Amino acid sequence: MIIGENIHKSFGDLEVLKGVDLHVKPQEVVVLVGVSGSGKSTLLRCFNFLEMINEGKITIDGHTVNPKKDNLTKIRAEVGMVFQHFNLFPHKTVLENVIEAPITVKKMKKEEAKKLGAELLEKVGLEDKADVYPSKLSGGQKQRVAIARSLAMQPKVMLFDEPTSALDPELVGEVLQVMKQLAEEGMTMVVVTHEMKFAKEVADRIIMIDEGKIIESADPKNFFENPQNERTKQFIQLVE
Amino acid sequence: MPEIFVTVFDVFMRTYPGFLEATVVTLQLTAIGVILGTVIGLIFALMKISGSKILQAIANIYITIIRGTPLIVQIMFLYFGIVEIYTMSNFWAGAIALGVHNGAYIAEIFRGSIQGIDPGQREASMSLGMDRRQTMSRIVFPQALRRSIPPLGNQFIITLKDSSLVYIIGVAEIFSLGNREAAQSYQPFESFLVVALYYLVLVMIFTFLLRLYENKLDVDRA
Repeated sequence: MIIGENIHKSFGDLEVLKGVDLHVKPQEVVVLVGVSGSGKSTLLRCFNFLEMINEGKITIDGHTVNPKKDNLTKIRAEVGMVFQHFNLFPHKTVLENVIEAPITVKKMKKEEAKKLGAELLEKVGLEDKADVYPSKLSGGQKQRVAIARSLAMQPKVMLFDEPTSALDPELVGEVLQVMKQLAEEGMTMVVVTHEMKFAKEVADRIIMIDEGKIIESADPKNFFENPQNERTKQFIQLVE
Repeated sequence: MPEIFVTVFDVFMRTYPGFLEATVVTLQLTAIGVILGTVIGLIFALMKISGSKILQAIANIYITIIRGTPLIVQIMFLYFGIVEIYTMSNFWAGAIALGVHNGAYIAEIFRGSIQGIDPGQREASMSLGMDRRQTMSRIVFPQALRRSIPPLGNQFIITLKDSSLVYIIGVAEIFSLGNREAAQSYQPFESFLVVALYYLVLVMIFTFLLRLYENKLDVDRA
């Protein structure tokens, strides 16, 4: 579904990604872990072309993207993204947040979009919040709206950039629950997270990134019980 | 009652029919100055954030010149400049000068509010497949506009008071009338006190209306 080959990305003199190869299969749930500054969030942002890679190539759903020629807007619409800080539109109600892109990008009729929006809000358990503004929601509710907003574009893959890191501990569960449900429905997902319990339960594969390179890639059982790389062993000790 | 209140009251009663007409002129000048300034300001703000070096340079030159010279000079300059090429009433010359002047300040207000919007808003919008134009018009600008309203209101009040400067090209607004009244009646102190009161009351009314509107916006969002 997403194939990244030899991805390099620098910010000025700082090389953040130093040749990353990653192949995410359809319906696979890949969790990216690593210490902060390792490049895991940058990698995610490259898949959505919020960051442009300096070298290498990215193939999404069989199409190798050429950032100079391709319509990136269209490609972004097929790759959903959930942010650490939710980034809901504060001047729009919950429902308006969800139906904004289907109406402006897909030119969906308003009635149809509203129906879709209501279904998605029900899916994330927030159908009663449709008409309130984001400022009235808790962090967990905001993030669930953000997930519904992303799903409204019917993306082929969903990227999650530390979706629970900005939440109070008691609100983390409700967001992970929605993500788990998505995974069970067969959504292809790439998740940057520090929630190891989620990684163990939901991931098909856990990938450890360190200093801009993939140093470990294994299913959860092998990742935690039988890590190969010294840095991975240290990381696991730290988080457990 | 002290003598001064009596004479001020006399001057007020004698002059209010003329001053009411002059107030209408002042309000018209202000309205045109603000509306024209908003249009110009929006265009130059978009030029400044456009990413095009040429457009940015043009906007910077405009803003630097306007902010770096006195309004009264701009009024004279525009008035005599426009009259050279196109015959125009002094009212319109003054109103346009106010608009051009305001445009520079309003451009900075808009630019500041647009750039003050969290970059995450832009990213979220783009991640949903919206293009640059849709992101600006549907997500960034509506939020920036709300943030612009308090400084725009402030600019509105400044314009109202600045409109007095077009007396220099003979537009019959409040200050101009007060000036004439002072000279004719030999009561300059009372006349300018009345002028000051007109401006003060107008500004107080605007401030009140502005506060009502800002409160309404807050309620809408809550």
